[in-house]
Amino acid sequence: MLEIKNLCAAVENKEILKGINLNVKQGEVHAIMGRNGSGKSTLANLIAGKNNYSVTSGEVYYKEKNIAAISPEDRALNGIFLSFQYPVVIPGVNTTYFLKEALNAKRRNREEEEINAADFMRLIKEKLKEVDLDETYLKRSVNDGFSGGEKKRNEILQMLILEPELAVLDETDSGLDIDALKTIAHGINQYRREDRAIILITHYQRLLKYAVPDYVHVLMNGQIVKSGGKELALELEEKGYSWLEK
Amino acid sequence: MNYLQRQFHALLDHCLDERKEIRSLRKTAFDRFNQLGFPTKKWEEWQFTDFSEIRKNEYRLAWGKDLPKIPDKIPGLIPDTYSIIIINGHYQPQLTKLPTGVSVKSHEDFSQIDGDEYSLNGNQNPFLALNTALMNSEISLIVEPDSIIEKPIQIIHLTTALSDQFMNHPRLVFQIGRNSQATLVEHYIGETKIPYFVNPVTQVSIDENASLNYIRILEEDIFGCHTATTNYILKNDARLNTTSFSSGAKLFRHDIKLDFAGDGGEAVFNGLCLTEDQQHHDQHVIVDHQQNFCQSRQLFKYILAEKSSGVFNGKVVVRKNTKQTDADQSNRNLLLSPSALMNANPQLEILSDDVKCSHGSSTGELDDDAIFYLQTRGIDSETAKSLLIHGFANEIIEKVKPISIQDYIHNQFTDWLS
Ligand SMILES: Nc1ncnc2c1ncn2[C@@H]1O[C@H](COP(=O)(O)OP(=O)(O)OP(=O)(O)O)[C@@H](O)[C@H]1O
Ligand SMILES: [Mg+2]
Repeated sequence: MLEIKNLCAAVENKEILKGINLNVKQGEVHAIMGRNGSGKSTLANLIAGKNNYSVTSGEVYYKEKNIAAISPEDRALNGIFLSFQYPVVIPGVNTTYFLKEALNAKRRNREEEEINAADFMRLIKEKLKEVDLDETYLKRSVNDGFSGGEKKRNEILQMLILEPELAVLDETDSGLDIDALKTIAHGINQYRREDRAIILITHYQRLLKYAVPDYVHVLMNGQIVKSGGKELALELEEKGYSWLEK
Repeated sequence: MNYLQRQFHALLDHCLDERKEIRSLRKTAFDRFNQLGFPTKKWEEWQFTDFSEIRKNEYRLAWGKDLPKIPDKIPGLIPDTYSIIIINGHYQPQLTKLPTGVSVKSHEDFSQIDGDEYSLNGNQNPFLALNTALMNSEISLIVEPDSIIEKPIQIIHLTTALSDQFMNHPRLVFQIGRNSQATLVEHYIGETKIPYFVNPVTQVSIDENASLNYIRILEEDIFGCHTATTNYILKNDARLNTTSFSSGAKLFRHDIKLDFAGDGGEAVFNGLCLTEDQQHHDQHVIVDHQQNFCQSRQLFKYILAEKSSGVFNGKVVVRKNTKQTDADQSNRNLLLSPSALMNANPQLEILSDDVKCSHGSSTGELDDDAIFYLQTRGIDSETAKSLLIHGFANEIIEKVKPISIQDYIHNQFTDWLS
């Protein structure tokens, strides 16, 4: 579903990604771990189509197509979703309106009719329950004044509503209390399916306990220096990262 | 002799039957204007605005014969409102619809109006002096005490079908009697391709415990220059809620002054300016807290596109020995193009200790991170930008009441965006 080949990227002449190789197939869950500043968010943003990096070499294939020239919105419409490490506040834009716009953009792209108000409310109420948010958030501007945990739930809410095929979750578990962590993990498991894939960026084993990955990769200095099964996360928790340094 | 002198003499000849107090008021005012002249870059309060367009264009005063055929459909009319229609400076009594409790006087009754409201009191604003000298279109609207006027009263100044360059100096007096409540809409619309100049002065007084919801909509044609002066006087416990929505005019300058003349007054200013092309919008606001327990809130927003420019100059004055003043002033500006320009200068002048004051100003561009966020949700970048601009404006628009006026402004805003 996603194939990254020798991806190198820089910002302001600073090399951040130095040859990433990653292959994610349908039905798989990949965890990416690594120190602060190792390039995890950069990788996530590049998959979603952020254009303020210069890709110096390498390719990203999604559904067997090189997506270098595809805009972020077209990637989203084709099933890529990014849950932001730092969800952005959109002042003055009502959350319900935003969710409906996003969903309808997808439906229009599939040449389906726009969702009617009643069906939309039904859908949204059902999904709100999954992430344990109440309806008052819908009336507020997107992420405006939301607490850290509420923002993360709002990201998962969007994932559940938009039903992407590839979800990249960038530290969706950071800054969450233990109940919220379970809620988020529940959301992820709810979403998990044979025909979908997930990339989980995280610092902690605790999320992986609830949302169990098939593969774990360690990103260090812009490269994947080690890959393994779910036990690798435990090993990292015990030993830290220094043993992987060359 | 410049064009203004010629027009002034023509006006005096035309209105020979005017009361002599008014005539002498006109003369004094015209002398004042001649002393002051048009503002120049050297005048601190006027430095960012170029008035040469008004100085150079030879406008003439509108007369009775300039009244065109009344359009079948008056543009800008908001449903479910009472209305007062003025076309090219001429009041149309036959189109006026007003409820009981509200009365209106126009030019014809002008001789009966008390001269006090027209005195200059040392004011150094040349456009106020010019208006007083040349006022050719007057409306005085009085809401009687203890009247609750449910529907808004919309006053439309329409400029349309001009034959040559002309000017109007409307004088508006609004008096809201004790314990009364009303909504007024002062609405300027231009539909012409010929340069024109509108220079209104509006005096608003709100009596004890009365409340006024006041909306000013500026949709002058791009060929129009509009300089306005609005003075508010609030008595004890009077409440004022204002919204200004300005999208029109090549040049717009507005001098707003509010005096709390009694204790316990409350004033809210919300403003949204939209500029594009080479438009220039300049607003100066002075809120004078000279009494106790008064509260004022200001939020002025600008959205500037293309090569347009804006000026916001707000001043809150809190006088010595006043008690429990609560004042807040905020100015937020969004630049949609690298050639757009904004000058902002919020000021506080606080001479009392018993105050709660805040002020701030910021000017920025659309947030790239927010655009990217929306794009990752499948929203294309143009729609994303428009959503963000909408979001920025919404803070002002969604507060407008009643909903009929909010809808009108919202539609005009949406048209502007597209
Ligand atoms: N726009 C930018 N300008 C300059 N440097 C940048 C920019 N974006 C990212 N970087 C740098 O790239 C490196 C990788 O950043 P990135 O956000 O990808 O790290 P991360 O692995 O997600 O870290 P964390 O675990 O703290 O979230 C950092 O050193 C960061 O400072
Ligand atoms: Mg990160």
